[in-house]
Amino acid sequence: MSKKLFFLLSLVVLTAMLLASCGGGGEADCAQDDVFCVGLVTDVGEVDDKSFNQSAWEGVQQAEKDLGAVVNYVETKDAKDYAANIALFADKKYDVIVTVGFLMADATIEAAGKNPNIQFIGVDQWNDGSVANVTGLLFPEDKAGFLAGALAAMMSKTGTVAAVLGTDLVPPVVAFKEGYEAGAKYINPGINLISTYHPGGADVAFTDPEWGATTAKQAIDNGADVVFGAGGKTGNGAIIEVASHAGLLCIGVDSDQWETVPEAHPCLISSAMKLITPGVFDLVKLAKEGSKPAGLYFGATGLASFHDFESKVPQEVKDKLAEIDAGLQDGSVSTGYAP
Amino acid sequence: MMADTYSSLPNWKYFLRRYGVLTGLGLVVLMTTLYFYFRDPQITEAVLASTVRYSTPLVLGALCGLLGERAGVINIGIEGQMLMSAFVGFLVTAWTKSLWLGVVGGVLTGALMGLLLAFMSVTLKLDQIIGGTVINIIAIGLTGYFYQVGLAIDGKLKPIPLGPLANLPLVGKVFFDNPPITYAAIVLVFVVQYVLFYTKWGLRTRAVGEHPRAADTVGVDVYFMRYANVVLGGAIAGLAGAFLTLEAVGSFERVMTNGRGFIALAVMLFGKYTPLGAWGAALFFGLTSAIQTQVQFAGVDIPHQFIGMIPYVMTILVLAGFVGRTRVPAADGAPYEKE
Repeated sequence: MSKKLFFLLSLVVLTAMLLASCGGGGEADCAQDDVFCVGLVTDVGEVDDKSFNQSAWEGVQQAEKDLGAVVNYVETKDAKDYAANIALFADKKYDVIVTVGFLMADATIEAAGKNPNIQFIGVDQWNDGSVANVTGLLFPEDKAGFLAGALAAMMSKTGTVAAVLGTDLVPPVVAFKEGYEAGAKYINPGINLISTYHPGGADVAFTDPEWGATTAKQAIDNGADVVFGAGGKTGNGAIIEVASHAGLLCIGVDSDQWETVPEAHPCLISSAMKLITPGVFDLVKLAKEGSKPAGLYFGATGLASFHDFESKVPQEVKDKLAEIDAGLQDGSVSTGYAP
Repeated sequence: MMADTYSSLPNWKYFLRRYGVLTGLGLVVLMTTLYFYFRDPQITEAVLASTVRYSTPLVLGALCGLLGERAGVINIGIEGQMLMSAFVGFLVTAWTKSLWLGVVGGVLTGALMGLLLAFMSVTLKLDQIIGGTVINIIAIGLTGYFYQVGLAIDGKLKPIPLGPLANLPLVGKVFFDNPPITYAAIVLVFVVQYVLFYTKWGLRTRAVGEHPRAADTVGVDVYFMRYANVVLGGAIAGLAGAFLTLEAVGSFERVMTNGRGFIALAVMLFGKYTPLGAWGAALFFGLTSAIQTQVQFAGVDIPHQFIGMIPYVMTILVLAGFVGRTRVPAADGAPYEKE
């Protein structure tokens, strides 16, 4: 009796494990010349993380629609699996492999060395250009952060603005923070800036919404009335927390979070965007045409639309932001951030 | 027993010997708190409010763990029980639009997961560590697979100020202006303490955890007591799960428990298998988290990881016996075989 039950139970567990490891499906022969295959490997996190990985995946999906590519993704569950996950696509002779996240840089360059016929695109990955088939897609996050900081400083009534961030182990997060603080000080040199990184390692720092929420609450209790949440789901937790306090504002990150985190609508004034989707799509397109550059490729950043806050943001704030944006583009305004 | 050797001493000496360290520690905490409160009331309140909030899922998880272990069942599946309940609570709320039904759903799910653990460890006499691991794997697999992007709930459980108590300086904001599950956690600490140590039920629970054979011979139903306590513990873990999605974050993310179920185990050990001790330990863990954030807010240049490490070092010290001895229930982890 109990043996049968035990067997049943193990069956349930096995099913659960299988379910856990399921990724996307679909098979195509990528070795053929006329089949253009694009594979995406996420960082620890999912393609529906409502920010970073999702934006990259949308760029790949656009390639499916516009370029007729065969697309697929693998979600990384553990940082140890980077190389194995890239190999999943490389072994099937995919034409382009997109790897998402700073932490995968080494694994990407190594895989590119082994597979010279496959084009690699590394989102947020710096490289020295020595491996010809790798392109690092980088973004000047400090500029987006600078605009977010300027917006926060202009909208703050208490003179205290906060940032709840992923980990300082990941340079783009540091760039967002430094830019944000510089932007806030650019508007109001005496502003009280309170920002904090998640204390955990890179494996949990972006997937801890409860920490984000509790930390945002602590920032609010410290007197902050604008909170910048930059750190995947951790940041989402922070901005949703701000939304539950009337009259406070929050700023999202990476993508236009108005679309991705509807729970934050009561406070979400804008998002510091990295235009990852067009960046990834452009590079995939260049790769298809055979003209993808080696080394680095810089994407665009900017503030998302104000959406429902359009009427609540004064015109002079909008003008000032436009002026700063122009200054950042032509170099007359500096974020002071040197990576 | 230690206490007996003291009973010949006069009352005050007995008290000092037995509770001296605790009283001293309490006084130090009180003085420090008051000192900081008079220096900067706003920040002190912010840190302490954050402390209570961080501690809530930990103390609930620890209560779950110690109910089981007092009855002789090791539960390392707290993490899975919390995650599953967080998910189901979220789903129920998303479908019914009722936060309260969501909480009920979460608690029932936790109880069900408790039932599963009890079934494995009491009826099937499976190795209890494996039983707990099974629960963790099931929870990660099922929640990861069935989570649908785009499901959202409207708002989360809001703080309920307890009338004039909430206006008291310091303690008002920290203890009497909280959302419902936080209140429930504090009440549960005292209820479980009372039940375990001052009722017939508690005596029987501890008896089956210490010496099930003896309990059996005097007519205590060992299996029933173990089942009941593990299921009740599961329900409490379920409340912790509901706290995560419905009170703290207001949304569900995959693997959002992020090891809190395991930290709860450390909290339980640190608290020496007593509810009050676990509460103290959870508050201590919470306090270091809150201070870590506040240190970063203040821009103090010490590595924040250092502060984050303190509770774990303390736990090791406690386990190593430097800060008094932790006594594990004698029959903890041992399945009971009727003769």
